[in-house]
Order: sequence, then structure tokens, then C-alpha cells
Amino acid sequence: MRLIFTPVLAASLLFAAHARADDTLTPLHFQSQGTFGSYDKAALQRGFLVYQSVCAGCHSANELHYRDLEALGFTPDQVAGIAANVKLADGSAATLDDVFKAPPVQEAAFGGAVPPDLSNIVNERPKGLEYVYSLLTGYPAAAPDNVNLLPGHYYNLAYPGNQIAMPAPLKGNDVAYADGTQATAQQEAADVSAFLAWAADPNLDTRHAVGLRAVLFLAFLTIIAIASKRKIWRESV
Amino acid sequence: MSTDVKASWVSARLPILAQAQVFFTERNLAREAPYLGLLPALITAALVFMAASGLVLSVYYNGGQGFSSLQFIDRDVSNGWLIHAFHETGTTMIFGAVFLYLFRGIFTRAYKAPGELVWIFGVAQFALLLLVGWLGYTLTDGAVSHWSLTTSADDATLLTGIPGAVATWFFGGPAGEGTLSRLVVFHTVLALAVFAIAALHYAGSKAIAPKVSGRQAVGFHPYYTSQYFVALVVFALIFSVLVFFAPHLGENPLNAGPADPLIVPAALTPPWYLAPLSAVQSVFPGIYGGIIGVVAALGVLFALPWLDRSGPNGRAGFVYKLLVVVLALDVIGLALAISAGPSAIAGILVLVFTVWYFLHFLVLTPLVTALEAE
Amino acid sequence: MAGTSVHAVGQEAESRRDFLKILTISGGVIGLGAIAWPFIDALGPDADGNAAAHMIVNVAAIAENTAIKVTWAGLPIYIRKLTAKQIADNEFVVPESLPDPASYTDRVKPGYESFVVVVGLNTGVPCELEGNDPSDTRGPFDGWVCPCDGSVYDPLGRVRSGPARKNLGIPRFTFLNDAQIQFG
Repeated sequence: MRLIFTPVLAASLLFAAHARADDTLTPLHFQSQGTFGSYDKAALQRGFLVYQSVCAGCHSANELHYRDLEALGFTPDQVAGIAANVKLADGSAATLDDVFKAPPVQEAAFGGAVPPDLSNIVNERPKGLEYVYSLLTGYPAAAPDNVNLLPGHYYNLAYPGNQIAMPAPLKGNDVAYADGTQATAQQEAADVSAFLAWAADPNLDTRHAVGLRAVLFLAFLTIIAIASKRKIWRESV
Repeated sequence: MSTDVKASWVSARLPILAQAQVFFTERNLAREAPYLGLLPALITAALVFMAASGLVLSVYYNGGQGFSSLQFIDRDVSNGWLIHAFHETGTTMIFGAVFLYLFRGIFTRAYKAPGELVWIFGVAQFALLLLVGWLGYTLTDGAVSHWSLTTSADDATLLTGIPGAVATWFFGGPAGEGTLSRLVVFHTVLALAVFAIAALHYAGSKAIAPKVSGRQAVGFHPYYTSQYFVALVVFALIFSVLVFFAPHLGENPLNAGPADPLIVPAALTPPWYLAPLSAVQSVFPGIYGGIIGVVAALGVLFALPWLDRSGPNGRAGFVYKLLVVVLALDVIGLALAISAGPSAIAGILVLVFTVWYFLHFLVLTPLVTALEAE
Repeated sequence: MAGTSVHAVGQEAESRRDFLKILTISGGVIGLGAIAWPFIDALGPDADGNAAAHMIVNVAAIAENTAIKVTWAGLPIYIRKLTAKQIADNEFVVPESLPDPASYTDRVKPGYESFVVVVGLNTGVPCELEGNDPSDTRGPFDGWVCPCDGSVYDPLGRVRSGPARKNLGIPRFTFLNDAQIQFG
């Protein structure tokens, strides 16, 4: 019995480690926001899956390399596998040191509305993380009556000017999450937004961790520096 | 015993150790120094820090690639993101300290005789730092700064006469592939030139400082070493909070993305430290308006020792101090108005604040100081 | 009276200040070191440099009796898969009988005895060796020969004859798994 029990226990623990996502949608909050925020790696992995399946068809991410994905919590072998599954334009498989594959669609096909590069998009807009989420979930069923939609454009609540050339990219269940999370459109949007936040600022975790230590150390040093200075000045009297 | 022998071997050939000892121990400094008076040392320390981080960045920066080269530094250089953040936040810290010290100088009328030359060196450093800051901003090659550089370099080719010759020489022609590589060199050289002017500024201020001696005087060590240490640590604390928790404070978010040669952003708002000057020069019309605006805005600062009409012993009255506070608010208002983006109200506000700025220096300062001198 | 008490207080205060001063100065030194570290670290190899320095090569596709050539650290590296006959012929050669004594276990990694990884430069007159392809001239020991000075090497890269007196260099590498070698 013990022979089967241990591997079953191990497997169930493994499954538990990739438990369904906590509800981050009501109310909407991202773990990376806030002074001491850090990235939710599970969300980043799900977001990468959405990016790779939905967004990478039209959007480039020229500043990201496949080797960077190890920061998402993948093992080096998994990352090598992800890269190997990508077929580059010349037919060869991508390697770890390659840049994210450029989208196969020709720029001319977009009629002037070229999809922006997503490597830094979250940094390029004020409150970028919420902006990306609002944009992805901001396609109402129908445009208001008084709006005259340009040809090839769609009504979006978040986009400046409200007329965006991108059709609603997420409809729900566009991907199947490995950890069993329900792939609603909102969940996918939240996950891919978290992934893009990481893409724009991969060092956030280190920055906050080091920053906390630095600020505490300097606060302590300020106190003893002031005490030392006052002691010296008082004794000069 | 042996250290004495070594010390005297060096001292016989280079008296630097003796001079250092005199600097640190001679009792020739006033007892109570206000903390704001320590700002120059903090500014110098910040300059050294900027030079160090800038030199590390320049090892990896590639003018031919601009934006991608900075992304490479952020993503692929070990701790490159931190060095880059040091340099960006260091800019905010240095300009914060410089603005603060500049306004303190105007408030306390540090420009009065015999401090006019020290004042001129100070304003010269300020002007040079603004230029260095603008060059650094263009080197980021972001969506906004690319256009700031392109407009400046292209307009330079349209100017004529001496301003045109100097401007064209500086940019090396219209904005092109080689512009960023060239500006990296200028950015570095001009920043190092600030050190040279700082040395003159320091020598001048030491020469005119009132002599203190006797029982009231204290030596540099340990009184001022401990006080400078406190100032440095507080400065470092503020710097750390910004660098680690708000690294993009005061920047235009649009500048975080690469430039698109086909798209000019709706609002070319500069970073905060360039905003007041940018606002003032936007008021002057015509192709020479930019140059005239910058020269005028900085020129009134250079001329301040002579615009102040109180006599050699005139004390700063209450109205003058109030005017300086209003000037500070005016400059802040200029920065906020230009950062709000183009609109009718912003345009009017910028004009009003600019007019007040020149009014303050050219009309109110002479009037008020002359009246309060009696 | 008052003088001695002031003196005593002064001494006490002095030792307190010493502790505080030591603490403050050491805090300052630690802070300075902590700030200096990123500068020094940033000047080290970047990610691309690290990738090149720790290159990973896939060896699963190498057929027996053939060798591939890769370039690492500016050097040509030959990775050869030995046949059973080549292993048998060379496994028990007495090291002392060789111009540069080396045993079989010196030349291969434990667990991966059929792979030979050597720097493909002759140790006599520097020259790239021949013998990677089965159709190349390989010399009497079925290893490599140098076309420049005629030195002969066995499949393990040990010099057997010729002007060269040293075995082929072995670069720093490890087997990540059965299929991948990482250099550096």
C-alpha cells in the first residue's frame, strides 16, 4: 500500500501546487500592484499561454528572448521546449537566445493600423496595467447609437477616441489552462495583462525586495547618523 | 615611526597630505551650519554618482540602436536595470537639489557682492546641467524624446547666421543615424565640464566666506564630517525610496516605448526637470523663439546680482522673500501647465506664468529691493 | 568636585560615542559596498556573453564514428562518438607507453565514455586536424592527423607519434543530460 500511497500523495501535492487561481477579478486586483507588489508566477504562465496563442499572431515583442521565460517559474527544460516549438520564418526551430518570433502577418495587411510592440506597452500608458485589462474587456456588444464607426474599426470603451482597429481578441475559452483555471474572457485578460506587466518590468520582484532592505538599512543608518552627529556637537560645547 | 618616515617621504614631494590634514582639523569653520548649506556637497556627490553610473551605461549603450540598446541594458546586462534606474532617478535627485539650492540662493540673496562671480559659476553649472539633462533625455530614444531631438536637430539646419552655424555644428546636421552616438560624447564631456566649473565655484565661495577663528570656530572633522554624513544618508534614503519604488517618477510614460518615425505623439511633454524651461521657451514665437526663450530665461538669472537694486548693505525685506516664494510657485505652475498637454487653458496659463517670471526678475526685483533697502 | 564629575561624564560619553561612531562608520562602509556592488556586477558579462561562454551543444544526433565541429571561446572543438572497436583498442593502452601519458578515464567523462570532446588544434605546429568525417585521413590509430606536420592522434585525442608531444586539449564542459553538453 505504501508503495502506491507515496507517489499518489506526491502527485496530489503536485496538483495542489498548481491549484486553480484565486479569484483576482472581483474586485480586480493584480499582485504586482502596490508598493510591495510581486508577480504571481502562475498568472504569468497562464498569461504567456494566452499571449502565445492569441496575441503573438499579430503583435511582436521584440525585446523579449525565450530564455527570459525562466523568470516565470518554468524549468530550463520547459523553456527550451517552448522555444523548440516555435517555428521561425526560415523554418528552423527557435533557440533560447532567440528574440520572440515576429508575427507572420505582413504590416501592409493592417491598413496603417500596425499592432504595437507589446514588450513595454504596460509602461507606455499611464496606469498601463489597468488600461490593458480595460481595453481587452472593453468591447461592448454594440456601439452606442450616436457613434459613427469608421470602416474596419470597433467600439472600445478604454481606447482613446473609442474606435480601435483591433477586433475583440478574447472571447473566452480561447486557450485551455493547464492548471484548471476557468478560461473566461476576463480571466484571460487579467492573466495576459499580468504577463505584459512582467514583460515591461521583469525586475519588479528584485527591485521591491532589494528596495525594502535598502530603505530599512538607510532608515536605521539615518537614526544612528543623527544620534552620532548630535553627540559630537553637544560635546563641543 | 615607519609611518612618519613614509609620510614625510610623500610630503616632501607632494604636500597633499599636509593640506588634507589642515583641511580636516584646522579650526576655521563656523559652529552652526544650516543643513541647506550642505546641498552643494550633496550635489557634487550626486554628480560623481551620475558619472559612475553613466560610465557603466556607456560601456553598453550603442548610439546606432538607441532604444534597443537601453532595453538590452535593462534586460540582459547583469544589474543593468539598476544602473539605469540609478542614472534616471539620480537625474531627478540632482535637479531637485539644484533647484532647491538655486531658490535658496535667490531667497537669501547669495548673489550679492562679493558673491557675484560665485553666483555666475553656479548659474553656469545650472545651465550646463539642463543641457546635459536634455541630451540624456534624447539618448533614451523613446517615442517622445526622439521627436524632441529630431525637431531640434532639423530646425538647427534651418537657422542662419551664427546661431545656425553653432546649432548645425552641435547636431552634425539633421537628425540621422549618427546623431545619438555623437550626443553621447557631448553628454559625457559637458557633464565632466560641470566638475570643472564646480571647482571654480567652490574656490570662489571659499575665498569670499567670512573668516572664523577663536573659540567659536570648529574644525571640519568631526563636526562637519558627521553633519555631512547625516545629510548624505538622508539624501540616499530619499534616493532609495525613489529608485526602488518609483523609478519612473516625473517621466512621460509614452517615452517608455520605441519611437515610430510615422507617428508624432499628441503631446511632447518633457521630463519634469526640463518642464519649466520648456514652458518658457514655448511662448516665444518663430524659429528662433526656442533659442531666445532659453537665453532669456537663463539670462535673467545670470543678471540677478545687478537686477537687485538694494545697496551693498541692503537686507532682504519681507516683500522680497514673499516674491521669491511666489516665483517658486510660478515655476512649479509652469511645469504643471506644460505637462498637462496642449489645451487652451494650458496655453493661457503658460503665458501668464512666463510673463510673471520675467516680470519678477526685470521689474519687481529692482523695484522691491530698492524700496526695501531704505 | 564639579571638575571630576565632568571629567567622569566626559569619559563615559567618550566611550558611548566610540560605540556609536564605530556603528555609524561601519554602517556607512557597508552602505558604500552595497552601492558599489551593482556597478561592478554590471560591468561583468551580459546575458548574451554568458550564453556564448556557456554554450549548449546538442550531441544526440552525432552518428557513431563521426565528429562534429563547434566553435567555443574562439577554439574549434571536435565532439566525436566512438565505436565499440575504437573504445576496445584504446581502453587498456598502458599510459606510460605514450609520449604524453594519459589513461582512457582521463580523456572521457564518467558515464559518457563513448563521447570524446577535444580542442581540434594540433599541439605541435598549430593547425586544424583532419579526421572528423569517416572518409577523412585518420592515420594508423583511426583518430586524427595533422596535415601540417604529420602528428598522429588516437580517437581519444592522445598523441601517438609526430612532432607534437602533448595530447589534444580538453575544454571545460559537462553533460547536462544524454543529449546536451554545456561548455564553460
